[in-house]
Amino acid sequence: MKKTMLTTILAASALVFAGCNSEESANESTGESGAFEPSKNIEMVAPAGAGGGWDTTAREVARVFGETGIIEKNMTVINKEGGGGAIAWAYIHGQDDSPYNLFVSSPPLMFVPLNGQSEYGHEDFTPLANMIADYGAFAVSADSEWEDLNDLFDQMKEDPESVTVVGTSSPGSMDHMQFVRIAKAAGVDPKKIKYVSDQDGGALTSVLNGSVDVFSTGVGEVVEQVRAGNIKVLGVTAEERMEGEILSDFPTAIEQGIDESFINWRGFFGPPNMDQAAVDYYEEKFKELSESEEFAEVRKKYGWNEMYLSSEEYEEFLNNEYKEIEVLLEEIGLGN
Amino acid sequence: MNAFDGMITGFQVALSWEGILFVLIGVIVGTLIGMMPGLGPISAIAIMIPITYGMDPAPALVMMAGVYYGAVFGGSTSSILLNAPGISGTVATAFDGYPMAQQGKAGKALAIAAIASFFGGTVSVIMLMLLAPALSSVAISFGPPAYFALMLMGLTAISSLSEGSTIKAMIAAVAGVMVVTIGIDPQTGTQRFTFGNVNLFDGFDFLIIALGLFAIAEVCMLVLNRKNRSLSDDQKLGSLKVTRADLKEMSGPMTRQSFVGFILGVLPGAGATIASFISYIFEKRISKNPEEFGKGSIKGLAAPESSNNAATSGAFVPLLSLGIPGSGTTAVMLGAFLVLGVQPGPLLMTDRPEIFWGIIASMYLGNIFLLILNLPLIPYLAKILSIPRPLLISLVIMFSLIGVYSISFNVFDLYMLLVFGALGFAMRVFSFPAPPFILAFILGGMMEQAFRQSMTISNGNLAIFVNSPLPLSLILIALLSLVIPGLLKWRSRRKLANM
Repeated sequence: MKKTMLTTILAASALVFAGCNSEESANESTGESGAFEPSKNIEMVAPAGAGGGWDTTAREVARVFGETGIIEKNMTVINKEGGGGAIAWAYIHGQDDSPYNLFVSSPPLMFVPLNGQSEYGHEDFTPLANMIADYGAFAVSADSEWEDLNDLFDQMKEDPESVTVVGTSSPGSMDHMQFVRIAKAAGVDPKKIKYVSDQDGGALTSVLNGSVDVFSTGVGEVVEQVRAGNIKVLGVTAEERMEGEILSDFPTAIEQGIDESFINWRGFFGPPNMDQAAVDYYEEKFKELSESEEFAEVRKKYGWNEMYLSSEEYEEFLNNEYKEIEVLLEEIGLGN
Repeated sequence: MNAFDGMITGFQVALSWEGILFVLIGVIVGTLIGMMPGLGPISAIAIMIPITYGMDPAPALVMMAGVYYGAVFGGSTSSILLNAPGISGTVATAFDGYPMAQQGKAGKALAIAAIASFFGGTVSVIMLMLLAPALSSVAISFGPPAYFALMLMGLTAISSLSEGSTIKAMIAAVAGVMVVTIGIDPQTGTQRFTFGNVNLFDGFDFLIIALGLFAIAEVCMLVLNRKNRSLSDDQKLGSLKVTRADLKEMSGPMTRQSFVGFILGVLPGAGATIASFISYIFEKRISKNPEEFGKGSIKGLAAPESSNNAATSGAFVPLLSLGIPGSGTTAVMLGAFLVLGVQPGPLLMTDRPEIFWGIIASMYLGNIFLLILNLPLIPYLAKILSIPRPLLISLVIMFSLIGVYSISFNVFDLYMLLVFGALGFAMRVFSFPAPPFILAFILGGMMEQAFRQSMTISNGNLAIFVNSPLPLSLILIALLSLVIPGLLKWRSRRKLANM
């Protein structure tokens, strides 16, 4: 009896050792050949609750990675909700150089720290790849007298108190700042823009019943209401006309003579000190995913636009965006 | 297509084998997660989205709708038995349900809740069917000033939620309003009372407060009073039988509050939680024996239960007919629609009638299933109460902790649960009522936001609240409801004096 137990323990410890060895050798191979291959499951953090944009992106990406076999190890999505992302970012920041902790993010990764609500911002993480682009839309009630952005902005220049803009995010965050950015380019005084935030789902309602004048939101939120003839879109923040039914009817700000755009980018990041080999690995895998037919279908399903950026391109893009937003926030007195 | 043709289309979907199967799965899953404190329909539906990938949209959506109203149905069980609300919509259920269970009428309380839920659910489905297109205009008529007035109307009810000292009720309410201001202010992005702690940025989830003030505080009371408890098993369950007199007593509140709940459900942002509170207060206000409320009143149990289920169907009006999600759960439902390639909105009824009417028809079926499933389960559920008390107390604590943890997976929230548990316990000991705190917490936040949105829109002019008829009339109702009870008392006193 005792003997069998001893053997079991020995066998078990042998297994553990074997495990250590193989892991060590895997690490060594990373060092020598420069290639990284995950040896355990990958954790993908959605910095928000279930059901939102980040969560959906993370889940769809994890699903397609698994179904296509682009990444063979399992990718598990976990939700870390709170502080508009700040709690998840603090968590990932603590992972230091782990190549197994990724997260999805979008412009709030800049807005939230710039508004002083997160210790960590995009520069504290390792950008892996951008995947998707989305755009903002400015909608008004269908019976509004404004026909295009210039009508709206002309009135705002003349009588800024008469126009109220509504969005779902808080002031200084995305819905607010995409409007400020375009309006400023059109010559509106950004300090005088009246913005209210409605986070309980009443924003569209308030535009429909005339309580507020302009709804600043994502293009995906307005298509159906436009189709039903309830609202009209004065302009979108895309650089060029978008494709698709209804979407292609939306004029961009640029074609209305306002030389400004705003991209709601969405991509993936790793902890601060992720190894270059791991970065190369993920960059490549995300590229493969972005080019796959399966993910093209996902984009189509949600109306997302393709926007792949490699790690390096992504970093440069983010740094440029950051500077612009920082200046804008300072100008309206919300800068940190 | 009129409602009649529509319903024929709808029942073709709902009564197909797929329809029946998925309604059944939906309501069973819904009942189960509703019973678990903390686990709510939002996470259940979100988790189901990838599972339903590639499914035919009609049965998939029918199933998700089933999860939603099933959870509201099942949420009453733990409210009644353990004073631990399963979901936020069933907090008010505990006010009279739990006292009934303590009086040895647990079985009856569960049966009344099931019948009231079924009634509320069914009445509101009928209204949904007949009025969905017409009501969509009601849903959008509420702007920030009207919401402010509505919340004000709700808050005036605090005095009627108090037992004994009105001052203590007011203090509790003020504390509730203060707690709701913690976090990042949506209108300015400024942090309020967070002390720079990132865990406080979003404020407190409603369930942390509800489980703390009710479940944890109750556990403390049980430990404190452990000597005077020795009910036999039979007494604990009590008779299941709902007598004809009981039915008669609950018929009034059920009918009235099904309508109230439905209308409040239609308004974006209001939903089952606010509906259940308003209905409870409504019934207490018009009752001839308001002193029975809070002590195991059948009316006080039937009112919130019919109302929260009615509100759940009501929430489908803006979702299906406008594409506007009025709550967190319907927002996730909207996401589920999109994934399945269905766009809810003004055109859904004409573009995809089988889905629009299929969901509505499936709700009839779902409510019947829920009643059939839940009634026979009652004796088994009520057995929970015969679990030895030390074990039961541990179970309540465990479920509360798991429930809170599953909201955000944040350990900080667990400490906060204990803090609110301690607060709730202290309030009990010093006889401060908890319901006004909870009510102020729910309504206060929305009221403040609506007020400040209105002020921004009107450039600070208070006249915005009286310039249009809807907010004006709501404010008048609020004022009248404050003044009339006082006047009536004064008159009856004068009569007595004259006699």
